[in-house]
Amino acid sequence: MSLDLYRELRESLATGQPRVLATVADTRGSTPRKAGAQMLLRPDGSFSGTIGGGCGEAEVWQEAMETMADGQPRTVVVDLTEPVDGDDKICGGVMRVFVERIG
Amino acid sequence: MQDASPGSTAVALVDAIEAALAGGPPVAVATVVTGGAASLAAGAKLLVRADGRTLGSLGSAEANEALREIAVAAFTAMPRIVTGTWYLADGAATDRPSQAVEGAAEVMLQLFEAPARLVIVGAGHVGLALATMAELLGYETTVLDDRVEFANRERFPMAHRILVEEVGAALDSLTLDASTAVVLVSRGHRVDEEALRHAVGRGAGYVGMIGSRRRTRTVLDHLAAEGYPAAALEAVSTPVGLDIGAETPEEIAVSILAEMTMVRRGGTGTRMSQNRSADSPT
Repeated sequence: MSLDLYRELRESLATGQPRVLATVADTRGSTPRKAGAQMLLRPDGSFSGTIGGGCGEAEVWQEAMETMADGQPRTVVVDLTEPVDGDDKICGGVMRVFVERIG
Repeated sequence: MQDASPGSTAVALVDAIEAALAGGPPVAVATVVTGGAASLAAGAKLLVRADGRTLGSLGSAEANEALREIAVAAFTAMPRIVTGTWYLADGAATDRPSQAVEGAAEVMLQLFEAPARLVIVGAGHVGLALATMAELLGYETTVLDDRVEFANRERFPMAHRILVEEVGAALDSLTLDASTAVVLVSRGHRVDEEALRHAVGRGAGYVGMIGSRRRTRTVLDHLAAEGYPAAALEAVSTPVGLDIGAETPEEIAVSILAEMTMVRRGGTGTRMSQNRSADSPT
């Protein structure tokens, strides 16, 4: 939830460029970031801010690209309690991330 | 964006958030996450200022009014709730998922404000250790002392502001709000006592004063006799800090910052390892 992120959002709005904002709405159990953490995605797929690094960020990025394309807000439930593909799930909680296109 | 929040509203909203994060007036923003039975549009936003003025809309007057009330209360609440989820149905709101009724709309509320501020009265050893560590924690620090040989830029390069004047007048010139902590660690309890007169009951989220149990009791008794409200005096963290056996100025600073963090974030101050068995398995 940094100042830089909102500065970029203001500039992108001014130039008519879309951004997708992902916000951790709530969490349960042990998660890398808590409610309020935000990530800003650009049309080229690059982003600033973090909602938790490896733990579920790729999943959110995928959904955020969908929202970038169709403009529909989404709620992504990131479940870090089930190990997938031998991935080391060191986090162990569940977080819900609200994804919306701005501009 | 939604009909209720056209492009110009989005710009005004982002401007207000940016200004708040940069040190301007704090703002709260409510966002519809799930529309529920009320069919609110996901992504619709309502910005609320501390005085209750709003911008944008969640899509219904009822939802706007409910979140406006919740947001206004959030500005002064301790611990600071940075982001919370509220469930709305039939004009009633709850932040407990277990109490949310079927079809309730889900609204995320976020508070945007400048980094927490710390006002340190006393530029001595403890004041210096506090300012040094507070910088790491992201506080914007103001140092007050009437002695320029202590309160100066060379000694406090990390301070946002250094005020060299009589501490009462200096404190009166500052805005104290829920995200401001005031810590009195001056050269003597007389100065601390005078500073406390100008810090107590002014809305600071935390007021702490160093000193022994006996000394601090005496100071509180003086202020009570002068008519300062008992509730405000009761809220003063004095003797200051958590009991960690701190002895050096640096350890005392850890103890004070730990207590400030506890108050701000709503912790208990107990050892984490003592909560082990109470943790529910996930």
